[in-house]
This record gives sequence, structure tokens and C-alpha cells, in this order.
Amino acid sequence: MAAIQGEVSWFCCGTAWGPCGTAGGGACGTCKSGNYQHAWPNTSDACYAITHPDTCGLSMSRRGCGFRHYTTNLCNGARVGTTIADCGPQTDLFCGERTCCGSACGSNRIIDLTPAAFSAIGSLSVGLRPCSVDTV
Amino acid sequence: MPQTLDRRRLLATAALGGVVGATGLGSLAPDAAFAAEAAAIEPGAPDPNFVEGRISKISGHLLLVLGSDTVLHSIRITDGTSIWKLHPTTFDQVAIGDGLYARGVRLPDGTLAADSVWVNIVNLHAHIAAVGRNLLHLDHKGQRIVAHVVQGRSAAVYNGTPAVSDLSLLRVGRHVQVLGAWHPDTNEIDIATVYAAA
Repeated sequence: MAAIQGEVSWFCCGTAWGPCGTAGGGACGTCKSGNYQHAWPNTSDACYAITHPDTCGLSMSRRGCGFRHYTTNLCNGARVGTTIADCGPQTDLFCGERTCCGSACGSNRIIDLTPAAFSAIGSLSVGLRPCSVDTV
Repeated sequence: MPQTLDRRRLLATAALGGVVGATGLGSLAPDAAFAAEAAAIEPGAPDPNFVEGRISKISGHLLLVLGSDTVLHSIRITDGTSIWKLHPTTFDQVAIGDGLYARGVRLPDGTLAADSVWVNIVNLHAHIAAVGRNLLHLDHKGQRIVAHVVQGRSAAVYNGTPAVSDLSLLRVGRHVQVLGAWHPDTNEIDIATVYAAA
């Protein structure tokens, strides 16, 4: 898979405090906020029917639970490897959204990282970053 | 990024009683501070340098945190620790009962010397169920969340445009991502940033 560029955010899962307490283990049943994991918009037909990245003109490969992706924060070059643990983000709800750091930009939400993974490449207090995602 | 690597060494030094000046660490831009954090953690595995849970005790600059998985953690706050609680803040604003995520470096005794602590931070994907005076009612995974607008702090990003303080364009039914701070043991949050779709 060629690297794709877009936006990365974060989400909580597993046992948790506050509003995250109801998040659960995600579509794969294994998701934990403290693990290097992520949500991917095309994990199954049912998932794709919710996220519909094609609505935004994106072609995103079908990948199952446990598949590895590597996400690079285009604001600083930091990179983290994670495995699929959930379905998301809901790409179609934010079609055309664009996030930039200077001249480094990403359009459309393509991946959500767990807090542990996102905080390895950026601050949680910044909810959205331009990114590239690849498989190696 | 040797400056960032130095930061991690300095944190450990500070936690172990060395001298470190906050100004020497605080000049890093947020993204730069994370630029060299690519620890060799296996994808899918837990990160030993990351902690989540709720604060059960504060002793000096040490936080005792009960993880949601019931594991107990000790977190040391150093002069170089950045603390976020709706906005960048100071250690005296941290309270027992607060939830947190923390990242840092493990000391030999297992304590986490914190580089960053995000207190009560939430990042919710929700629909706007109602709009009130200085608040939003959100539907989040079947739960109702009351999200308060904080004057001078809350901002909205409309479809990727620069953040503005005007939240009046938010409408019932819209899907939003809300970054904010939870009020412990309630269904209420304060809004830092609302990301609204087109």
C-alpha cells in the first residue's frame, strides 16, 4: 500500500474513566487506551457502511483486526506503529476537512489512534493532526 | 532532534533529584517535544511509558493513580512536566479524583517521571442534541453529555478553518468532535475545542 495522507485523531477504548467508561473493547474486542492500537475505516463490510471513506473520494484498503499501520505526524515527523483494534473514524462526516502545520497538510480523517499511540507522536491536547499512514 | 532526547534525560535527572530549570525545557514547541518519542514499542502492545487512570492520592510531587485496569501507578511531577487541564496549567490545579493520561520515562523503581500529564482530557465524537445558553447537549454513544462553553477558552473549528471563539454556527444534529475537560463523577465537560463538520 502506498502511503496515504489525511488526518489523525485519537479515541479512548477499553476500561476507562469518565465519558470513556462506556467505550468498550472496540470492534475487535481488544482495544485498550494504553496500547499501541488504532481504528481503521475499512475493517469489514459493516464498518465500511458506517465510515464510507469513498464518499470523500478515498480508496482505503480492507484490513482486519491486528493489521499493522505506521502513522507519521506531519507536523514533526514522529512515527508510531499500531494494530487495528476498532472501526473508525467516521470519515464521511468530515469530508473535505483539512488540517495543516505550516505547509504540511492532510485532508479527511483516515485513522484514529489510542491515547498511548497518539501521545507518542503528539500532544493529546491537540485533537487533530495531518498525517501519513503506511504499512512498512 | 537531540534537544528532545536531552529533554527525556533531563526529566529522569530531575526526578532523581538533579537540577533542572523549567525554562530550559519549556521552550520546546508542543510538536517538537514529541518529535523523537518513537519508542521501540511493538505495535499492539501496551506502552510502559504511558499511564491512564484516576488520582487517588497526592503526596508532595507524587501522584498515586489507580488505572482503570486496577493497576496502581506512581507518577512524579518534575519542574519540566507539562500539565494540561482544559489549558496548560500548574500542578496545584491537579486534584484527587481527577482522571488523567500521562507520558514520561520509567525510573528504576517503576515510578513514571512525567513529561506530559493531560488531566480529565476527553476527545468525544458526538451529535449535538440541543443547544443552550453557553452549553451544548451531546449524544455520545447513547449517553447525554453536557458540554459547557468557557468564555475566553472554548473555540470552534469549522471544517478545518482556523479556530474561532464564535460557537454560534453549531447546530442541532451536527456531528462534532469535542476536545475538553471532564468534571469528575458527572456527565459534564468544559469545551476546549469543537471540531464541526461542514
